Amino acid sequence: MNEILLSNEVIVYLLSETVLYFLLFIAFLATIGLLKRWNFDAFTTEQFALENRSYLVMTIIFFVMMLKVVLLPYFVYTIDNLSDLIPGAMCGAGVVKANEYGNPLLALKIIILFLSALWLSMNSIDLKEKNYPYLKLKSWFFVLIFFLLSTEYLLDILYFTHIETTNPVSCCSVIFGQTGGANGLPFGLDIPKLLILFYLLFALVVLTTVSELAVMSIIASLLFGVIAYYAVVYFFGTYIYELPTHLCPFCMLQDHYFYVGYLLWGLLLLGLFLSIDAAIMQSFFKQPAKSLKRISLLLLSLFVLLCSAYVAVYYLKNGVLL
Amino acid sequence: MNNNAFLHFLTLLLFKQKGKHIGAVLISVIIIFLLSSVLFISSSLQSMLLGTLESQSDFTVSRVQAGKAINTPSAWMDKVLEINGISQVAPRIYGRYFFAPREESFLLVGVDLFDEQSSKELRSLVKGLDLKSFLSTDSMLVGEGVKTFLSEHYYKEYFSFKTPQGSFKKVKIHQALPSGTNLIANDMIIMPIELAREIFGLGEDEVTDITFNVPNDAEWDNIIGKLHLLFYDVRVVEKREIVKAYENLYNYKGGLFLILYLVAMVTFMLILYQRYSMVYSTERKEIGILRAVGWSIKDILKLKFYETAVVVLVSFVLGVILAYLYVFIWDAPLLSQIFLGGANLPNHVSFVPVLEFGLLGSIFLFYAIPFLAAVLIPAWKIAVTPPKEAML
Amino acid sequence: MISVENVSKIFNEGTPQAFEALKSIDLELAKGETMILMGVSGSGKSTLLSLIAALDKPSSGKIVVEGELISKLPDLHASAYRAKSIGFIFQHFNLLEALSVEENVIAPLINSGLDIKTIKEMAAESMQNAAISHKASQQVKELSGGEKQRCAIARALVHEPKLIICDEPTANLDRENSLKFIEILQSLHQRGKTIIVATHDPLFEALTFVDKVVHMEDGNIVGADSISAHN
Ligand SMILES: Nc1ncnc2c1ncn2[C@@H]1O[C@H](COP(=O)(O)OP(=O)(O)OP(=O)(O)O)[C@@H](O)[C@H]1O
Ligand SMILES: [Mg+2]
Repeated sequence: MNEILLSNEVIVYLLSETVLYFLLFIAFLATIGLLKRWNFDAFTTEQFALENRSYLVMTIIFFVMMLKVVLLPYFVYTIDNLSDLIPGAMCGAGVVKANEYGNPLLALKIIILFLSALWLSMNSIDLKEKNYPYLKLKSWFFVLIFFLLSTEYLLDILYFTHIETTNPVSCCSVIFGQTGGANGLPFGLDIPKLLILFYLLFALVVLTTVSELAVMSIIASLLFGVIAYYAVVYFFGTYIYELPTHLCPFCMLQDHYFYVGYLLWGLLLLGLFLSIDAAIMQSFFKQPAKSLKRISLLLLSLFVLLCSAYVAVYYLKNGVLL
Repeated sequence: MNNNAFLHFLTLLLFKQKGKHIGAVLISVIIIFLLSSVLFISSSLQSMLLGTLESQSDFTVSRVQAGKAINTPSAWMDKVLEINGISQVAPRIYGRYFFAPREESFLLVGVDLFDEQSSKELRSLVKGLDLKSFLSTDSMLVGEGVKTFLSEHYYKEYFSFKTPQGSFKKVKIHQALPSGTNLIANDMIIMPIELAREIFGLGEDEVTDITFNVPNDAEWDNIIGKLHLLFYDVRVVEKREIVKAYENLYNYKGGLFLILYLVAMVTFMLILYQRYSMVYSTERKEIGILRAVGWSIKDILKLKFYETAVVVLVSFVLGVILAYLYVFIWDAPLLSQIFLGGANLPNHVSFVPVLEFGLLGSIFLFYAIPFLAAVLIPAWKIAVTPPKEAML
Repeated sequence: MISVENVSKIFNEGTPQAFEALKSIDLELAKGETMILMGVSGSGKSTLLSLIAALDKPSSGKIVVEGELISKLPDLHASAYRAKSIGFIFQHFNLLEALSVEENVIAPLINSGLDIKTIKEMAAESMQNAAISHKASQQVKELSGGEKQRCAIARALVHEPKLIICDEPTANLDRENSLKFIEILQSLHQRGKTIIVATHDPLFEALTFVDKVVHMEDGNIVGADSISAHN
């Protein structure tokens, strides 16, 4: 048997995903039943049973969602640990690239988390009303998410069964590093422009969220997400590593850097999720979502502060910038 | 403050109905105890090995003939020394000595104690070693396993080695190696290189292998290439290969155990499912009453979720603490043999406590997700009890 | 306050055991009125009460309480309605046997969002009113029938509901306790509560504060006497 599959973390991870997928499958079957036979105006016993069954679906989704929030960092931790087993890999960056499934899997996980959060918001609105107005909509939405979840599960298995421990992979400095002056930034950005954009977009997110410009706020959040990713990898990360050439989104998840990566990426992702979630709630479902907005702004501000703090602390300690 | 009332009520119910959960807690504690013990042992072994291997040389070279290692000429040392980027080159005599009457063997290591580096390493390994008195007579340092074995055969102070020429060589047992090194030094004997040469009957200018370090990691592959250019009949062993091999070995043992344990986990889930279906069915009336006085399905689900979470956490903490005591305080009787079994001399290892957050997290997920998943459906079934139930 | 329109309830609908417990019931009750529901065993009294209290859902028809259609509420809203507006006193008291009197009384308020201190104060007051304070920390299973009933009353009234529904409240009580119960009902009536009592206890037949007596038979309402109000 493949030594990757014998690593503790991989076994735990795959078991967890399997159990959750099994539950999701039950929820999926229940949802199909709901979609077929739901009729809120009927007074039949069957309709009451369906109503109860809708609670099973939401319980499962809520439960799975909570655990997926835990399992995403665990997945990252797992691949980070695997870097010991795979020649050439110094951190998760190389392991994710060990086969073609890694990157899509990671992206899919983030998308699914976001969609499930949206589903939960929609569900809570639905429950507030007196006639389950969004039941069909949220059921179809879940069917969509379920297909993504199935893909994710498939990718999980494909990914972990196709990691070679004999083929050396590239380490992060090769994946992200600049080779001879060329820089890896998109849209012809350089570091100063990237930073200006980073802070400007953050201000824009705050503004659009506060002034309730829902569509603008979604666009601003998405843009901020992309720019923040590059800003962390190409600028703030170098201050975390205190090394101007070390460009990597994964190494900061390791213990030498006090696992700060989990906090940093967690704040960013959660903040973005909530801000987009709040905007969608506001524009499509006419819900104010005040507390969602407040939390999302808080998280994003913490993220920006944390990033900036690394630069500030470095400057105070050494009197120069990298 | 809002949850205050809810938590108050939750504790009330939990305390009044302890009996309902004791069964589940018991099975869980056993499951977690076994799981954590095994994983604690394997991760402790891994980190002890890494610690011990740390001080070893990066490379070992020896001469081969027909694919078998044969004696290496000491003259190779001078050639190796000429390669740039190499430091601490030392000769070594390394081999198994068979104790004739029985099928036991010791690992005999002869080191050049007049070499600055080797003697420094030895002194750091054996704290307070008096090198003068050690070298004044023919003496050796022995691993715990060897010491026990020898004293069982009435060699308390001296042991007489039999050389290939048939003569005997009497060597004083100077002292035992510290027990922290038992994992690899259990059956090891360390002695001055000349003594080892005599016991194994090697020629005056022969050693078994040559060790050296390469401080710059990036040079490693380069150095291997150079060695193969220098000698045609050489075998190079890297430390990182050994480390990886050992690491994988213990990882395997942990991983194999987990896979076997999956069967136990599935059974565990079925038992929990049954158990909670039963427990909850006795609560039908109670839940019906709560529903009738205004608790919603969501409220009941929340109650059940918190109840289960408390059971999960309590069992987890209990199981892990028990496993910690068993492995790190009592040195894991029985179970340690699975990991250390098959060694030449009986080995007693004191496990060095290693508690990694990631490991605990893994144990928690491995147990808690199946547990919660198994309880979820029974909990839902009871939560949707119609409030009408209260009237029946 | 309450209007029941054309409500029927069929148990086990669509199976050979189908049983029509309520047949097109119509009923009106104004705010602050007290109604007695009479009828032999099996006539459908409890079933009707459970529908009004949103413990169950009708097979057809409409029930409106205070302008809210409660015959077709999703669970979250039905529960909120029960938690806010209904005080139900069950035939068999239906207390949580494992808990003490006080713990039973606070149960309806746990999810109200109030903190435990306020809840306990409210419970203390309600127990005081129901004359069960002296047994507050006693286990329910150790109480006598009359005490159980008073505990049930304290629990039903702890959240100050507008509508109080009693299902055979005196069926398990002796005459003395029954009379005490009627006294409590009267005081509730005076405080402006709307009250519905299902019973076949003759003690209730000649009560002066009752506004309406409804007779049921085989799931039908066979007679409703409106007694002109005395107050
Ligand atoms: N869940 C049920 N399934 C089937 N039949 C039921 C159910 N609940 C009640 N019934 C039937 O409905 C009829 C009315 O019951 P209900 O409890 O309303 O009577 P009641 O007037 O309260 O009688 P009592 O005075 O004995 O309490 C009874 O014949 C009973 O058997
Ligand atoms: Mg009845």
